[in-house]
Amino acid sequence: MNTQKQPTSGATTYAPRSIIIATLAAIVVAALVFVAAILPAEYGSDPLGTGALLGLNALANGENPLEEQVEGYRHDTVEFILEPFQSVEYKYHLDFDAPMVFDWQSTGVPYYDMHAEPAGIGEAGVQSFKQDNGIAQTGSFHAPFAGIHGWFWENRSGREVTVTLNAAGYFYASTVFRDGGDYERNIDAVNAP
Amino acid sequence: MLLRYVIGLAAAFATSFAFAHSIEGGDASFVASINGPAIGPFIYLGAKHMVTGYDHLLFLVGVIFFLYRPVDVIKYVTLFAAGHSITLLGGVLGGLQVNAYLIDAIIGLSIVYKAFENLGGFERLLGFAIDTRLAVFVFGLFHGLGLATKLQEFALSENGLVTNIISFNVGVEIGQVLALSGVFIALTLWRTTGSYLRYAFAANTALMAGGFLLTCYQLSGYFLAA
Repeated sequence: MNTQKQPTSGATTYAPRSIIIATLAAIVVAALVFVAAILPAEYGSDPLGTGALLGLNALANGENPLEEQVEGYRHDTVEFILEPFQSVEYKYHLDFDAPMVFDWQSTGVPYYDMHAEPAGIGEAGVQSFKQDNGIAQTGSFHAPFAGIHGWFWENRSGREVTVTLNAAGYFYASTVFRDGGDYERNIDAVNAP
Repeated sequence: MLLRYVIGLAAAFATSFAFAHSIEGGDASFVASINGPAIGPFIYLGAKHMVTGYDHLLFLVGVIFFLYRPVDVIKYVTLFAAGHSITLLGGVLGGLQVNAYLIDAIIGLSIVYKAFENLGGFERLLGFAIDTRLAVFVFGLFHGLGLATKLQEFALSENGLVTNIISFNVGVEIGQVLALSGVFIALTLWRTTGSYLRYAFAANTALMAGGFLLTCYQLSGYFLAA
């Protein structure tokens, strides 16, 4: 441990001239980096041509909000009638990162669990996104992995409930799990020949 | 002499590649989705914000650069923590929101100020001295206002708000202690070599350049990005 009295600043060490030079140098360096790197990279403005030289201009464009798909756009409408204490599970087959938008409404307040199972692993890798009781849900979804993605609805009330789902996106099929069995539905592409 | 400026330039470049310091991505959507007290996550986010917050860290490097005794470090850092706690808590609870770019520009200037002071600029050049303790406290107020502004960019739920903000603040202090320990150890090790005093001048020049750069960057954000 150093117990000897130490200066708390360099006040007595440096000549005023050095301090002026240092301050000016700091300003010049900051201005140079700002004009040469930050302006082109952040704002696409390239007064010195350094943005083009260092390839920084590309950064200013940011992420393209457009994700073009070649084919495979589909939409789907299904309706499920659930008697008291009946349940159904309906899932779309989505590839990794495939998007969909959806909207479902119900005549009652079913319990629902929006979840996904990765292809090949099945229930062992199940991921749940929302579990609630509700009359409707609408939103968008990007598949976190390739697999089946959808809903489990259960009518826990004493009267019949109808759930109507509309979805659009880049799924190619869906699977219905109902009454202890399951079956697959093909969904035709909108622009299919 | 030339070497000093080369080192300064390199350091300024190094600081320029890690900008835009706010709460981002998954953390942001997490904060927005919280409804109710979440002590652990907010402590973590506060600590993360501080440890990854180069603007706060550069300022603290400036503050402790010429502090040799741990007790002095504790004294100044406590003043800084008191300052930013007041405005973080008061700012969020009082709904006080200031333009984030302007606050960050002031934080940039706080780095310039401390580096300039470390060079002895105020006494040797301008002929007056600012009480460093007061300056550190006042800049602490601005740093806290910056934190408060960034937290309020999210729709924070009223439910558990006080608990969450206090947790965030506790996290900020933990992160600060963690980061400062690292900086202090590194500076102490450096002090054992002869190069410390030789390059102290260059280091503070670089620090000042970093401060100017952050200020430019934030001001350009204010004027150009709107």
